[in-house]
Amino acid sequence: MKLLFQATWAVLRKDLRSELRTRYALNALLLFAVSAATAVSLGVGPLGSGSIAVSVQAALLWVALLFAALNGLARSFVQEEERRTSLALRLTAPPLAVYLGKLLFNLVLLALLDLVTTLLFLVFVRVSIGNIGLFIALLLLGSVSLVTATTLIAAIIARASFKSGLFAVLAFPLLVPVLVVVIQGTALALRGDPWSAGLPMLQLLLAYIVVTFVASSMLFPVVWEA
Amino acid sequence: MHLALQSVAANYGPRHVIYDLSLDLQQGEILVVSGRNGSGKSTLLRLLCGLQQPSSGQIRYTHQERAYTPQAARHLLGWVSPDLMLYRELTASENLHFFARVRGLPWSTADSAALLDRVELAGRGHDLVSSYSSGMTQRLRYAYALQGQPLVLLLDEPTVTLDEQGMALVHRIIEQQRQHGPVVVATNDPRELALGDYVLQLQPPR
Amino acid sequence: MTLRLTQIARILIGIWMTGVVLAMFLWIPQYEGLGNAGRIMILHVPTAWVSVLAFAVSAWYSAMYLWRGQAVDDDRALAAAECGMLFTILATVTGAIFSQVVWGVYWNWDPRQTSIFVLMLIYAALFALRAAIEPKEQQRKLSAVFSLFAFVTVPFLIFVAPRMADSTLHPNCAFAPNSSCDGITLRQGSIGLLGDRKVQLLALEEQGDTVVARVQVSEPGLTSEAVLEPTFDLTQGESVVEPTFPGLRYRLVVQSVDPANGTVLLNIHAPGTGILANQRTLVTFLASLGGFTALFFWIFSIRTSLLGVAWLLEQREVAHL
Repeated sequence: MKLLFQATWAVLRKDLRSELRTRYALNALLLFAVSAATAVSLGVGPLGSGSIAVSVQAALLWVALLFAALNGLARSFVQEEERRTSLALRLTAPPLAVYLGKLLFNLVLLALLDLVTTLLFLVFVRVSIGNIGLFIALLLLGSVSLVTATTLIAAIIARASFKSGLFAVLAFPLLVPVLVVVIQGTALALRGDPWSAGLPMLQLLLAYIVVTFVASSMLFPVVWEA
Repeated sequence: MHLALQSVAANYGPRHVIYDLSLDLQQGEILVVSGRNGSGKSTLLRLLCGLQQPSSGQIRYTHQERAYTPQAARHLLGWVSPDLMLYRELTASENLHFFARVRGLPWSTADSAALLDRVELAGRGHDLVSSYSSGMTQRLRYAYALQGQPLVLLLDEPTVTLDEQGMALVHRIIEQQRQHGPVVVATNDPRELALGDYVLQLQPPR
Repeated sequence: MTLRLTQIARILIGIWMTGVVLAMFLWIPQYEGLGNAGRIMILHVPTAWVSVLAFAVSAWYSAMYLWRGQAVDDDRALAAAECGMLFTILATVTGAIFSQVVWGVYWNWDPRQTSIFVLMLIYAALFALRAAIEPKEQQRKLSAVFSLFAFVTVPFLIFVAPRMADSTLHPNCAFAPNSSCDGITLRQGSIGLLGDRKVQLLALEEQGDTVVARVQVSEPGLTSEAVLEPTFDLTQGESVVEPTFPGLRYRLVVQSVDPANGTVLLNIHAPGTGILANQRTLVTFLASLGGFTALFFWIFSIRTSLLGVAWLLEQREVAHL
């Protein structure tokens, strides 16, 4: 068990260090976030805070996050495969440690993306947040759901040709429930509804995270050794 | 350490390259596998380290009365191959440190230095692997493979891109490995054919 | 022996399905409010059921493949997915036709439409994945993993989909069959939403024992408006006149009146809710359900053996290389 933690931590640190040196995923993610926020603010402008406005803002925020995530989250696995370092890793690391390390790495990336995108939306689109606590909770759980659902898929598509297109094709249908819940919940949080209104959504996201995480950790070794 | 293959068959892509191969290899024995390009040398080594599954037959390692599949025996194996790539954006010692951690080996900077010294890369540990020449990269592959003293060495094209000193180094490593377990070398280089206790000549598929 | 049995089964399925189609057009009565379009339900519901069944069968054999590693299980999973895609398209098309005829829209994102649409995306993703992986064994393993992984997320979709039409921002209910609505209580002059229509209670007039509610109904985007006058009998305690929404087959109903407060409870009444109440319709529907299920398993087994033969041929070719 201690060995697993140690190996997971090593994989995470290795990926972070590589990322800082190559900026392979980071540039793509952040540029995407900036372009999305700019396009939205130029195209839509400040919407105010009517009940339709908060729905539109919530949807745009999550569409920006989703597409940035679909652009960047596959890269750590794809890079191992493209630079053919996956063989060296497969011979030495426990599969579960690889999965957990990459999952944590993707979480770090997405947390950064959340921060940048939200700030840009606050400034450019003049989104005002009614219930900040609920907003942050939804942002975090929504992001964790994105990561637990897509990390396994990233490992799958790393083995296929036509990788980048395939990632979105495979991930999107599985993410529909998350998107519906998180967009509606974010709209409530923007409007300033109380915690009790958002609670069922948080519960659902939590259940989704648990189910996809458990399924991924069971299925990952098959993908890794395929 | 003992390695046994029982009527193993395997494909490379859609083709059969190996069929009905059986052999036994004891502690300290060196097997040289040769054959034309595409005859399945690399495939055999990949089977031996569990990177590929045989389509039929069985491969078993036996160590201290216990039998292991190649996948389960990975912590006992060292594999060197042109297909083996290390992280170019990290330095050599960062690479060694990382692989030691995921292998669960206790590791220190001194260990990295000693290992790099053994493969004659002393002083180059803090250079990025992307700045290495192909011969230096090949030496670093040996450092990766020898980490934690493997019982079995599986060497694919062991001296490709190496200079005279590098070749001598590899031959020394192979000789030293005799005291730990068997060695399998896939090569067509006549100087290495002479190293083997046995030579397995693979035929390309019909 | 098995060959003989499959031949008999094939003929039986053919006769059975012919009977279902004949009964669908000639034997069962028209449903009030739906017209001949209502007959499509006999085909629509079973095809939708088979789409879901096929998905479960595919996931089951994917799990079996990962468990036992036998190529035939993967062939079965693929065959089930292919049948599933076919029936999903059938269900979507029949549903869209029905929706257009009855509700005036092809597509409405109601919960079941959402679910089947996502199901279609998952099937498409499975085929795209298979096409993108060359080595056969890897292809089988990875698509089995994806199929199982998609399967565990589907329950969330079923749970979440009702929220899409029934948005929590807009407390209302959809113009969809079997949607149970609480309705809305309005006083004179106040505004509410029923389905996607804005309704405003203009006036409440008592004419003897009947109450007439003058209700202005606006289309989404306020493109057009109409005034409907549903009525309610105070002595009987039931609604009398139930006008239909313009362009839709839904009726506007006064469910109760509170004269003291001057409020009415308005609701929509969907056609098709009691569609299976008729005996003949029920029998035909069940026969169709059974027939389509048998049809699915028949196509499934044929496709499986075809895939097996194709795989054998491919291997033989390789052996001769």
